Amino acid sequence: MTQLQTRLTGLAGGTRPATRTLGVHPTVRFLLRRLGAAVLLLFVLSLVVFTLSTIAPGDPARAYVGANASNAAVAEARARLGLDDPFLVRYARFVGHALTGDLGRSLRTRHPVTADLAAFLPATVELVLTAFVLALVLGALFAVSGALRWPGGAVGRGVLLLLATAPPFLLAIVGVVVFFGSLGWLPAGGVGDFEDPGPFGMQALDSLLHGQADAWADAIWHLALPSVVLAVAPAVAVGRVLRASLDTVLGMDHVRTARSKGLTERRVLVGHVVRNAIGPALSMAGLQLGFMFAGVVVVEQVFSWPGIGNYLAASIPVADFPAIAGVTLVLGAVYVITNTVVDLLQALADPRVSAT
Amino acid sequence: MSTGAAPTASAGPAEPVARVENFSLSLVRHGVRREVLHGVDLSVAPGEILGLVGESGSGKSVLALSLLGLLPDASRPEAEGRVSVTGVDMLRADERDRRPVRRTALGAVFQDPMTSLNPTMRIGRQLREVTGADDTSVGLLDRVGVRDAALRLSVYPHELSGGLRQRVMAAMAVARRPRLIVADEPTTALDVTVQAQLLTLLRELRDDFGCSVLMITHDLGVADQIADRLAVLYRGDLVELGPAREVVRHPRHAYTRALLGARLSLTGERDPRFARTVTVADEPDGTGGPVGGGAGGPVGGGAGEMAGDTTGEPRPARSPAVTISGLRREFRVRRAGVITALDGVDLTVDRGAALAIVGESGSGKSTLLRIVAGLETATAGSVRIAESTSGHGAQMVFQDAGSSLTPWLSVGEMLGERLRAERLDRAASRRRVVETLALVGLDPDVVGARPAELSGGQRQRVALARATIVPPAVLLCDEPTSALDASLARSVLGLIRDIRAELGTTVLFVTHDLAVARLMGDRIAVMRAGRVVELGEAEALLADPQDPYTRQLLDAVPTIAELDERPAPLEGGTA
Amino acid sequence: MSVAYAPRARIRPGSIGGVALGRPVSWLLVALLVLVTVVALAAPLLAPFDPVQPVGGLNLPPLSPGHLLGTDQIGRDLLSRTLLGIRVSWFSALAVVASGLLVGGVIGLVAGAAGGWVDTVLMRITDLFLALPGALVAIAVVAALGPGLLHTLIGVSIFWWPYYARIIRGETKALAARPHLEAARLAGAGRIRLVTRHLLPGVVPTAVVSASLDVGNVVLLLAGLSFLGLGQAAPAPELGADTARALSQLLRQWWVPGVPGIAVLVLSLVANLGGDGIRNLLPARR
Repeated sequence: MTQLQTRLTGLAGGTRPATRTLGVHPTVRFLLRRLGAAVLLLFVLSLVVFTLSTIAPGDPARAYVGANASNAAVAEARARLGLDDPFLVRYARFVGHALTGDLGRSLRTRHPVTADLAAFLPATVELVLTAFVLALVLGALFAVSGALRWPGGAVGRGVLLLLATAPPFLLAIVGVVVFFGSLGWLPAGGVGDFEDPGPFGMQALDSLLHGQADAWADAIWHLALPSVVLAVAPAVAVGRVLRASLDTVLGMDHVRTARSKGLTERRVLVGHVVRNAIGPALSMAGLQLGFMFAGVVVVEQVFSWPGIGNYLAASIPVADFPAIAGVTLVLGAVYVITNTVVDLLQALADPRVSAT
Repeated sequence: MSTGAAPTASAGPAEPVARVENFSLSLVRHGVRREVLHGVDLSVAPGEILGLVGESGSGKSVLALSLLGLLPDASRPEAEGRVSVTGVDMLRADERDRRPVRRTALGAVFQDPMTSLNPTMRIGRQLREVTGADDTSVGLLDRVGVRDAALRLSVYPHELSGGLRQRVMAAMAVARRPRLIVADEPTTALDVTVQAQLLTLLRELRDDFGCSVLMITHDLGVADQIADRLAVLYRGDLVELGPAREVVRHPRHAYTRALLGARLSLTGERDPRFARTVTVADEPDGTGGPVGGGAGGPVGGGAGEMAGDTTGEPRPARSPAVTISGLRREFRVRRAGVITALDGVDLTVDRGAALAIVGESGSGKSTLLRIVAGLETATAGSVRIAESTSGHGAQMVFQDAGSSLTPWLSVGEMLGERLRAERLDRAASRRRVVETLALVGLDPDVVGARPAELSGGQRQRVALARATIVPPAVLLCDEPTSALDASLARSVLGLIRDIRAELGTTVLFVTHDLAVARLMGDRIAVMRAGRVVELGEAEALLADPQDPYTRQLLDAVPTIAELDERPAPLEGGTA
Repeated sequence: MSVAYAPRARIRPGSIGGVALGRPVSWLLVALLVLVTVVALAAPLLAPFDPVQPVGGLNLPPLSPGHLLGTDQIGRDLLSRTLLGIRVSWFSALAVVASGLLVGGVIGLVAGAAGGWVDTVLMRITDLFLALPGALVAIAVVAALGPGLLHTLIGVSIFWWPYYARIIRGETKALAARPHLEAARLAGAGRIRLVTRHLLPGVVPTAVVSASLDVGNVVLLLAGLSFLGLGQAAPAPELGADTARALSQLLRQWWVPGVPGIAVLVLSLVANLGGDGIRNLLPARR
């Protein structure tokens, strides 16, 4: 196929045959296609969540009128809530409501799910983003120390690998026992005692914006353990992929060419290696983000982190399906959007991605 | 080793640009340390082109990397002796001292134009890394013969053809007016006509920039065409070094003689017996010639009588075995419309005859062969294969023998697969397998071997055995030797000729190499852009080509002037 | 005349050029896998006590007489609970991987071998599943079906095949592009024979290696879900859930939540090491 394309390129005079034929830059076309796919995915996600909600235990009509209501009252509520309508009609209504921010009412808290999410989401985003950045840094260190054979790097890699083999809840409880129980260096959980000054609802970010040094330090102090626990597994996953692709790219002919030009090793790495090797690692990072949204549920529970994960964990035992559906929908949407961004970044890094 | 201080005489008083002194090198490959160069002595004088010739595994590329100071750390190189460029030790000097040498005194052109440029960086930026400014880059691209140079700067490598990419590499190599260009098989991946252009370019660049060139190649013809002096590397030993003319005319070492002997040329005798002698060299401890036990005897099946018939008769009865008429093949490619790979091809091959199809990449020659084999379908036109007593159907031998064999099956299992239709009992099929292996010059022991355990030449023999264990009506060969070293290639070609004589098989042989075509085909068809531009008896066509494209192809073939005497009209045309 | 410069025969009948280095170590790692499987199988026989009945003092520390790993908050033997928890975790993980391998393997093989629109359609569906946050939706699935081990396994399995479909499809396509398939076709092999004899044996090593390297991930995922209460119902021993229930004792009796957690670590470690062993022993590409 590539040979054929080369041949075609030759026939077309050697300059961008694709651009000529359609008049749309391949990167732009790729972007549009990818955005379309993201919208489609969000619809599929909503369809999955809606389908699950129809088979979930618990009758919304009965929940609406109360456990002691008569069967007639329940039937009347069913009709009024439109629960007897055809599937597609109900789905359309569900999507319409979701788009206007109505995700139903939690059976447990009795608040609208949207309000609950608004209250709990910021803390989770703060924790996940901190852990994600940490994971990227650790992953990069893991890969680069291996590919460039840094002395002593093997020990660090071994420790990280061992930590990534452990279940996150074990890491969390060992962390609490050691750093809180024995050493007393770090708190056992929570986000801290300072009042969040707003506007984002994220302690560390908001206190930084307001220049409150002690509140910020306290926020970071509370973030440290949960974010490390959450970051370990994705760091190793990303690090392994990056390491493999760095090794591959370092052995490629064009790197030899770059070196033969007499470029400094730094310029070779920055200009000819990293950009070519980053693609698979980006994909893996996007994938890991999805796992982090699931993993955060466990971590928040151990550390009593007032986030969406704790909200979900509390909803599971009481089968509060509207809440579970809302969390899945929102976190799923965040995941889909992040991965779209990752793909677009990849297309910018490597022109061949959008050419295929 | 063998040739000591000889180069100084021809280099004159000037200090050599590069010097390799008593250089031994060992590398770790697959966990085993092996010495790949043994005490090599060599120097490159200012302004000279030194041709370094060797087959795969001779250590020639490792020598190039040593000169550039770019031996891969992963192979943990251990060196003795000295390799210096402009006085700097490229093996042991600090990287801070070696890097400026690469930057200012050295330029490099590598083998594979597809992978040697950074695929994610525009050509302009890759050039700017050495030129410093786009204006200079444009000037250089103009100089190396890239048209519309200014436009190409914003293009990515995958948007250029192989020839253009290699020109860009050459531009980068000369950008800083280096003292020495190290060119490692720069033309191997290119078509002959493009190869000829690139060789001319390299020589012009030498003249313009006054630099030296170390031209590394496996092809004596290419080396001789461009080099002032020739060095021959054989398994890590420098076995020959001297003025090009001298080496070609009076080779001192047996290996050089063998290399010259294995060369196929457009003139000279088409010796039918060479196959056997080279086969002995192929398997030094082998059990004799390709026709093993049953020298000339029947191979089994219905092939017996035919074999007797054809060996006595040079030109078989004129009835067509393959009839190709009005063959068209179009590929629909997204966003690029339709490309026509075959544009109305008519050909017939008589029973027992051999037709060689010659063309460059993209000429449609392989597509044609694949349609005849039934691996692809034609858009229009027809292929008819006449059944005969000598065999039925078409069998094909592929370019890369290694990948045409199923890695996890043994040789016996693969050969046995073709015998399934024959419904032989176990002993009979076992006998048939052994006989066929003998026919292709392989020991019966290989029955249990898997492809990974075989050498390149042995794999191609297995592929041949599989194609002929049940004799086909037509044997299709798709560049079966282009991936093999010259000596091996020659023995495999000889083998195909032997088998043809033995079984009376019709042969359709696709190649990019006119000399191979001359050896393998009674007739030659020259293809270009999906059409047959010329068709004729092999010798006649080469002696007096009618089509300008055929003439262009002929002119592009690298020749050794002292050995290949061409018919008069062509002599002047060779650049 | 015979110039000795051509490659010599490298025929060693009966041997395949595999990785010779570290073979004994690799076998040792695979033996660990077998050992864990045997322990999981024989757990009811190995357990000294009934795992759901109180049999001793409350919260006895490890190495207490009669209770090697101590007892929990209501006096149940931790060794017995852990052994049976291992049994559940291990076979659950194997079941998820096996179902993923089966479903993903068939889809990947069909897509890779058939090509064309079949490939396009199957891979679009696969990508759809890959693009959804599987672990999260799995939680929703289990919540919708109601808690229970079977439901958890179903929920996870739904999202665990696309990974295999992708890998196996890629491997199949890479193999299918090799001329050896065309050569086999010319040699007279039919469709079925092409797939079973010339394609499948090349895909199996890759599939087995990626599956074995994946068991550890599934162990961790299932333990996490169990920790959240998406597993077996209360009295039954389960590693993740046992840790979650004893979380409040963490700073006083660390071993009650700690022992089952460490058991998960051991399982995941053995799975990963065993996977590495298998990878070293099988001639898989990549």
